Amino acid sequence: MQIEVKNLSFTYSKDSKNLSNKALDDINLTINEGDFFGIIGQTGSGKTTFVQHLNGLIRLQKNSGEIKIGDFDLSDKKCDFKALRSKVGMVFQYPEHQLFAETVFEDVAFGLKNFQPNLCDIEIAQRVEDALFMVGLDFNKIKDKSPFELSGGQKRRVAIAGVIVTRPEVLVLDEPAAGLDPIGKRDFIELLHRLHRTFVKTIIIVSHDMNLVSENCNRAGIFSKGKLIEVGTPKEIFANVEKIKALGLDLPTTAKLMHELKSKGVNIDCDLTVQGFIHAITGRGAK
Amino acid sequence: MKDVSFGQYYPTKSFVHNLDARIKILLTIAYIVAVFLVGQFQFMGFLLCLIFVILATAFAKVPFFRVLKSIKGILFVIVLSAILQLFFNQDGALIFEWSFIKIYDKGLLMAGFIIARITLVVLGASLLTLTTSPVEIADGIESLLYPLKWIKFPVHEFALIMSIALRFIPTLLEETDRIIKAQKARGADFESGNIFKKAKALIPILIPLLICSFRRADELADAMDARCYSGSKNRTKYKKMRLSWRDLVGSLVVALLIFGIVQFNVTGFLAVVL
Repeated sequence: MQIEVKNLSFTYSKDSKNLSNKALDDINLTINEGDFFGIIGQTGSGKTTFVQHLNGLIRLQKNSGEIKIGDFDLSDKKCDFKALRSKVGMVFQYPEHQLFAETVFEDVAFGLKNFQPNLCDIEIAQRVEDALFMVGLDFNKIKDKSPFELSGGQKRRVAIAGVIVTRPEVLVLDEPAAGLDPIGKRDFIELLHRLHRTFVKTIIIVSHDMNLVSENCNRAGIFSKGKLIEVGTPKEIFANVEKIKALGLDLPTTAKLMHELKSKGVNIDCDLTVQGFIHAITGRGAK
Repeated sequence: MKDVSFGQYYPTKSFVHNLDARIKILLTIAYIVAVFLVGQFQFMGFLLCLIFVILATAFAKVPFFRVLKSIKGILFVIVLSAILQLFFNQDGALIFEWSFIKIYDKGLLMAGFIIARITLVVLGASLLTLTTSPVEIADGIESLLYPLKWIKFPVHEFALIMSIALRFIPTLLEETDRIIKAQKARGADFESGNIFKKAKALIPILIPLLICSFRRADELADAMDARCYSGSKNRTKYKKMRLSWRDLVGSLVVALLIFGIVQFNVTGFLAVVL
């Protein structure tokens, strides 16, 4: 499903006197099927407001642009948001805070039962097992446990299983790696790639971690004060070092190194992934 | 969800805002007593209360519609009690009859009386929350409860609980908002179905919210402990409350109001004027 956003604007609290205070200001963006799209920007730049539009958690305001996701037209009043939400999954920051059910099984099945009420028990069990397997948990060991007796990392996986159980084609993640230890983070990114290889066609990830973006995303956008000011490959958006710094953002480590080396007279060209960087360096050494 | 602001405090500088919170709380109580002192069908007493509220609103520099908005929340109660009086009070003369509906003149008067009474009480009380920040109210209540220390009532702790509760209302609202969104994204439906279904649909919100509140409480307790918070002993206040001439003026006005109402009750309106 292709995501097409045209002239999207959004203002919080219509009666506020300050009309210039737009949370989103004329956003135009197309995210293609298959993209691993990164969204970066300072706190309060409108990233979260933007991604919450994508599955109708924040409704489009009148005369403030349009969003099309596959066949869904979000500007249409008759848009079936329930169907949309089963196609566009959303993982919030600290997703483990959404756990509520008595058992892991019930919690993971919650979304599935909401979206597909006619599914039979065997099928539900199968789908829950698949989802838990996907996030790297053992179905038989964990399904009858209370979600609250799990470790932090396990809780988060269960929460994510509860989102992907409906097999969304688009997965939106808002700061999903916050508070994970390095190994947890690595596992988590592996999980994202595993999902991307199977049924999740498009991943949109909001992150403050520039390395995560440069390493994993094929395209990314920078938000600043409600505006989308830059879209492109990580290499393109991180090209202008001064601009990135002026926006209060950081560079990925590879870009920093490239920049350092450039100031020392060594020009390296790579796609900002660690592998790409090593290739560029060693390839140069071989010459 | 975010625009549900607790307490509806209207920040500005005015005579009423500058009144001592303690005095304001006491005067509000006195005002409510005054409204209840108005004798049956002595509508002139209500007129006096209304004039007082309008004057107080004007001196508080609060837009009048903000004060009126407070009625919206209890409109149902007002209408219900008025209807009950209208249809079931069978005193006085019959003035209207249509099949089983019988309206008596006393019932009509009583309905009007109750509407006026509830409305005026709410208007006055909302004026307190409009002109006094929740923190000031908590401080004021703490100060007013101080005498209870004599019977070993933990006044300071009570006030602390109150101000922490007030402080965390916006935080919890934000949290609620996020949890609602997370469950909505998982297809939760809070709007459709009968009342039992709707109540059941709240479980996925309430349980995470409860857990989150406990977590926050734990964190806050640790943070307070880390900064050696030790309760009421020898604790001083950042903002000292002092009485001023304003409080005297305010008290006099309310005293005058009560005096006027009592006079109306005893002698009727004309006797006072003439």
